[in-house]
Amino acid sequence: MAKPSDDRRLELLQGTLDMLILRTLQWGAQHGHGIGQAIRTQSDDLLKVETGSLYPALHRLVKRGWLKTDWGVSEANQRARYYRLTPAGKAQLLREQDRWSQLVHAIGRIMNPSPASKE
Amino acid sequence: MRPDQDFDDEIRGHMALSVKERIERGEDPEAARLAALKEFGNVTLTRESIQAVWRPRWVDVAGALAQDIRIAWRSHRRAKGLATAVVLTLALGIGANAAIFSVVREVLLRPLVNRDEDRLIYIRQRAPGLGAENTAFSVPEIDDFKSRVSSVSAFGDFSMIEFPLVGFGEPRVVQAGVVSGSYFEVMGLHPVLGRLLTSEDDGPDAAPVAVLTYRFWSNSLNRDAAVIGKTIRIGTRAATVVGVLEPSVPYPADTQLIANVVTSPHHLGATMVTLRTHRMTELFGRLAPGATLEAATAELNEVHAAMMREHPEAYAPNGNVQLSVARLRDQIAAPAKTVLLVLLSAAGLVFVIACSNVANLILARTVRREGELAVRAALGASTGALRRTLLAESLVLCGLGAVLGVLLARPLVAVVGRFAARFSVRALDASADASLLWIGTGLAMAAAVVLAYVPRLPIQQTPTGPGPASGGVRITAATNRRLRAFAVAQIALSFVLLAGAGALLATLVALQTANTGFNMRQVLVLDVPLAIEEMGAKSVGFSREAIQRIGKLPGVRNVAVGNFAPWRDAGTLLPKLPFAVEGYTPADGEENPYARLRMITPGFFAALGVPLVAGRDFSDEDRRDGELVVIVSQTIAQRLFPNGEAVNRQLWWDTPLLGKQEPRRIVGVAADVDDENVVPGPALTVYHPLQQMPAGGRLFVHTEGDPYTFVGPVTRIIREISAAQPVERASTLSDVRTAVLAPERLNAFVFSGFAIVALVIAVVGVAGVLTFSVSARTREFGVRLAVGSSRGRLLLRVLSEGASIIAVGMAAGAVCGYAFVRIAASYFESVRLPEPLPIAIAAAVLVAAAVLASLMPAARASRVDVLRALQSE
Repeated sequence: MAKPSDDRRLELLQGTLDMLILRTLQWGAQHGHGIGQAIRTQSDDLLKVETGSLYPALHRLVKRGWLKTDWGVSEANQRARYYRLTPAGKAQLLREQDRWSQLVHAIGRIMNPSPASKE
Repeated sequence: MRPDQDFDDEIRGHMALSVKERIERGEDPEAARLAALKEFGNVTLTRESIQAVWRPRWVDVAGALAQDIRIAWRSHRRAKGLATAVVLTLALGIGANAAIFSVVREVLLRPLVNRDEDRLIYIRQRAPGLGAENTAFSVPEIDDFKSRVSSVSAFGDFSMIEFPLVGFGEPRVVQAGVVSGSYFEVMGLHPVLGRLLTSEDDGPDAAPVAVLTYRFWSNSLNRDAAVIGKTIRIGTRAATVVGVLEPSVPYPADTQLIANVVTSPHHLGATMVTLRTHRMTELFGRLAPGATLEAATAELNEVHAAMMREHPEAYAPNGNVQLSVARLRDQIAAPAKTVLLVLLSAAGLVFVIACSNVANLILARTVRREGELAVRAALGASTGALRRTLLAESLVLCGLGAVLGVLLARPLVAVVGRFAARFSVRALDASADASLLWIGTGLAMAAAVVLAYVPRLPIQQTPTGPGPASGGVRITAATNRRLRAFAVAQIALSFVLLAGAGALLATLVALQTANTGFNMRQVLVLDVPLAIEEMGAKSVGFSREAIQRIGKLPGVRNVAVGNFAPWRDAGTLLPKLPFAVEGYTPADGEENPYARLRMITPGFFAALGVPLVAGRDFSDEDRRDGELVVIVSQTIAQRLFPNGEAVNRQLWWDTPLLGKQEPRRIVGVAADVDDENVVPGPALTVYHPLQQMPAGGRLFVHTEGDPYTFVGPVTRIIREISAAQPVERASTLSDVRTAVLAPERLNAFVFSGFAIVALVIAVVGVAGVLTFSVSARTREFGVRLAVGSSRGRLLLRVLSEGASIIAVGMAAGAVCGYAFVRIAASYFESVRLPEPLPIAIAAAVLVAAAVLASLMPAARASRVDVLRALQSE
């Protein structure tokens, strides 16, 4: 029963969700819904995070000390939990970004071998 | 952050935002709400995953394990036979270990009840040169210690004496401790009733008083509080019961009561008070504040050395007299240590055998389940999860085994406790308590963890192993090797235990059947103890009258009185004493020979069936005022007289213990009998006529027919002569020997018990391995039969497989056993390699049992149905 739009949607690579969440929070605190929307819009609707994965991931990150939470009031005038990066979370984001770019580079070289890369 | 309560709020917030967004995009509010809900997905599932994030890891593991245990329980209920075998095996192993460990803890590890028991020391004087491990002390020696030693703040002395006791029911003989007033203070003990003795009870003018021990009070007097103030007669004195001692470890001897010095005229006599060689007092001490055991030992040794220099006549130069000092607790535990450690290692071996057997059964089962495990692995079960499944199964088995084992251990504690009580009285206090549970649980957990790691997991296997698709059993070489290794280990350890049990049984048989030189079956011996001060004219008259009147009973052949019941009195009375004979001069540096001293009435040798080889028996004419005469044993005659012609030569004692002694004429030579050792050795014994050296206390009656029918009439006659005379422990010599050998018998019994358990387990193990191997190779046997192999050949093939396991196992057992004995021998000098015969018998038993065990699987192999076997895969 896939909707047409699902066809072009991409599966999240395993382990990248944490990095995306951390990255999204780089500009300030956000609630769960906002984080999901941010990932979706920033990826041009290509990535959609299921709430069933998003919330456990958020809690996991809180437990590891990379995020902090505060209660606030959302745009819908509802109580909402806001997530924010901790210093440890910022450090983790940098590490993951590094690893990610290495991975992209490595995969890129395998998938698109070019004479230039053989220097 | 508590996610479980807050999460609902968080969801509501999420929904509100989602709905608001959709409405802003122009959707109908109701449709927007439904869409948002749908988009969110399964709320419950999400909530659970969040809760899982916050749960500690072990909760998950424990939950999964609990689940696994439920499954394991069900799976075991399907394989009842296997589960029962495993549980029983483990229960035996766990039960034996828990029981023995309880006793070990009670005897070796638990502190005494005495106040500051780690400051309490026991001082022992020994003369290894004379073979005396504990000579005790004399009163002058103790006085020297008291006045010269400062690192011991107080000394307590204790000597034991046998009293006839009148006042509590039937007259009876009791063991009584005679102590000075400092004793209880030094020991740090309290009364449960009344008072204990103090320094006011010291001296010859104090009132005679006695304290009952707790065991006597509760076992024989029903804990009757009215005993306080009661007057009893002990020996010749009346004494007042003033208190009951709290339960405590009796050392050096279990007594019924403890009395002050004035109750024992012997203790007030000059011999006791002034004679430095009259050693019958045990010495305890309490370390002075700040003094260490080492310092006290050094100071005591110094004072002891000075004493020996000042009184050289009181210390035999070749006796190598020494002092040894130990904490009381260690002293009490010492004799039981070896026995308990041997038992503990036997129990340990049984546990190892049980575990390896269970490992085998489980391994065999897991091999059958390799298909199932492979399916689980293929479905994504991790190695950890599979191990957990196996752990759950072994936990269930081991848990049941532990429960049963602990139930089994409860009665076992009593048996082992009674056994170990021969070596340390503390073992009697061992009881089945909660610690059994802990030990059982600990052992079961250890076993469960080991067992869970025995089977290999399909994940680590090569791809050629049975895949998920094949449900059949295929046994790999590695599994087969493991199975065999466990079976071999069981055979090896069982062999060690069987050989040990065989050796003990062989010793027991040798002891039980040795020719003692006595008439064993027809001679009744009874204790008719007299107080020391009654030994004189009274005892002589009493003996003569008793002999006369009992001798007239129809069916009585001979009656005699002596002072020593064979074996039963060994070690309790006089030590061997030095003597000299006319015409024999010891070589330079050689001391006078030592002999046993026995007092007997005429007819003693006839009554006990000991032949006189030369000369004559004593007669009523050998009176106190007549010529002094003795009879010697054959060994004395042969060793000390040319051609063994001892009759009419002179012999005299040469020891201050007996005072100045006249020479005595040897009138007879009796055949050797050894009344101290059940297996007779050469015995140097000198017999005195009772009239010339009054003693007594042991009545010998040689009867026709059943000797025990004479106990009643004999007792009646003695009571007619003296109404308050105790008559006790009537027994034939043969039964005395049996009773004396009780520790050996119990030893052999307990050890054989272990060996039989081990044997049964090992047989089950071998049978299990072969059965499994046969059933896993049904197809192979089918093929063999199909291509013309005879059924007999198959039978032999399986039998030879069993034989090879046995052979390797026994070889390994022999090597282990040999190494074990060598190691043990370096710690305990009494450990020796057993004789070849018991080892051969043990081997034969093991081989026979194992061949029987292999017969059933072998028969099954030879009955394989060819067609079915070939179709089975």
